[in-house]
Amino acid sequence: MCSRWVVLAFYCLGQMCAGQSLKPQIAAPELATNNPTLTTVALEKPFCVFDSSLYPNKSYVIYLYAMKESASAISSLVTTTNSKPLNSTFQQTSGGKLGPYKAAVFNVPNCASPPKFTDVGDVNKVSDVLKQYLFRVGDDGTCLYDPNFLAVCNPPLTPDTTYRFKYVLVDSTEGIMKDQTLWSDPIKTRRAKLPLKIDTWPGRRSGGMIVITSILSVLVFLLLAGLLASVSSAVMGSEASSAETKHMSQTVQQSELRPQLSSE
Amino acid sequence: MAKSDDGIRILQGLLVFGNVVIGMCGIALTAECIFFVSNPHGLYPLLEATENDDIYAAAWIGIFVGFALFALSILGIVAVIKSNRTLLLVYIILMLITYAFEMASSITAATQRDFLTPNLFLKQMLERYNKSEADNNNDKWMTEGVTKTWDKLMLQNQCCGVQGASDWQEYTSAFRRTHNDADYPWPRNCCVMNAQGSPINLDGCKLGVPGYYNSNGCYDAISGPMNTHAWGVAWFGFAILCWTFFVLLGTMFYWSRVEY
Repeated sequence: MCSRWVVLAFYCLGQMCAGQSLKPQIAAPELATNNPTLTTVALEKPFCVFDSSLYPNKSYVIYLYAMKESASAISSLVTTTNSKPLNSTFQQTSGGKLGPYKAAVFNVPNCASPPKFTDVGDVNKVSDVLKQYLFRVGDDGTCLYDPNFLAVCNPPLTPDTTYRFKYVLVDSTEGIMKDQTLWSDPIKTRRAKLPLKIDTWPGRRSGGMIVITSILSVLVFLLLAGLLASVSSAVMGSEASSAETKHMSQTVQQSELRPQLSSE
Repeated sequence: MAKSDDGIRILQGLLVFGNVVIGMCGIALTAECIFFVSNPHGLYPLLEATENDDIYAAAWIGIFVGFALFALSILGIVAVIKSNRTLLLVYIILMLITYAFEMASSITAATQRDFLTPNLFLKQMLERYNKSEADNNNDKWMTEGVTKTWDKLMLQNQCCGVQGASDWQEYTSAFRRTHNDADYPWPRNCCVMNAQGSPINLDGCKLGVPGYYNSNGCYDAISGPMNTHAWGVAWFGFAILCWTFFVLLGTMFYWSRVEY
């Protein structure tokens, strides 16, 4: 498990140092198994992507833009005419339907010391590793309805919709875009099925149930037949014995009469 | 005469032995059914909410049938030893009635077990777990039962959903209506808990990081005890009835041969 993640880390680093022809990637599925969900998508932060555009004495931040795939027909520009990054919000673009909106602002990830995947097993370090490695779009469920919220709002996405994302490198003093990635591959959020559609029909009867029912029915029938047989045999037996006793009493009477007659 | 006397004696001995076994099995059946009715795994609310708790009805019948079998076996021993025709007839009639009840219990347990499929519990969990608005008191009672049972089940067995944690993501549910997907992709009890009863890492649980949430399903923990219950009542009842069948046939034959 650990060696697999170390190999993955090296592979990712190698990929990312290739230049700006890269796109934002979805977070590693071995790490974030529940991704994308109904309303969130976890993306890898851009490690070593913008390193060729970084100058040593300047400060930079990274902006993350999100838009629905259908909006690319309307507008997919993330900058204004003088290279300043767009300040669109979720509400202004109707959740990314009319164009890209700014979903996050964060510092440039440290290329020299990326987070170690082996630390994920440690309960104390896992929060830091996750925070450094990935960003969850759609994480904040309350900022849309909070009038005092002033930072960049990252509301939940719509289920069953395809989104595309882009990272933009911005010089924080001049406020000018210095570099950007391509738009990511389309990433679709999950679709939820209705529980009404679940079929609860049990299907075939189990073999044990058929055995029990059939054998017990046969046994009950045999018992009732046996009861009838024994009752009828008892009734017939008593008739035969009563006929016998009647016959016997008649012969006794006759044999008693004859000696009387003969004696007289 | 001596030969038929011997034959009668052997038959009497066999019938007494048969009745002793019936008596002991009756007590065992009563004890087993009391155990099942006492709901040792706390799964009764799930059955109650499906409105199909007939395996419990079968166990209840089993309690009384077991006791009746014990009492009737004593009557049978007395009747056979005294060779009293009236007593034997009473024994046979009452035993046939008890036989019918036990047959009903056994067949009910076997038949109703077939209805307890994973889809049934999945649908019930999605529609009832944490349902916020109840239609009436009965609905509220069943919803509370299902919610408490599932919470306990997920905590004790370290499992989530019926077939896995993905059940909560694949289907909409009453839970989803009150808890948004970003904060609660699945109920909190699906997360791996520390000793104080709170998740060891909430972000790890929400993202689905292995080791911070329970991905396996609870169906085994539900179906195991229910299968034991249903098959225990059905097959043990079936075995008793097979034995009782022969004892009753022998008693009927004996009754027809005994003279007043």
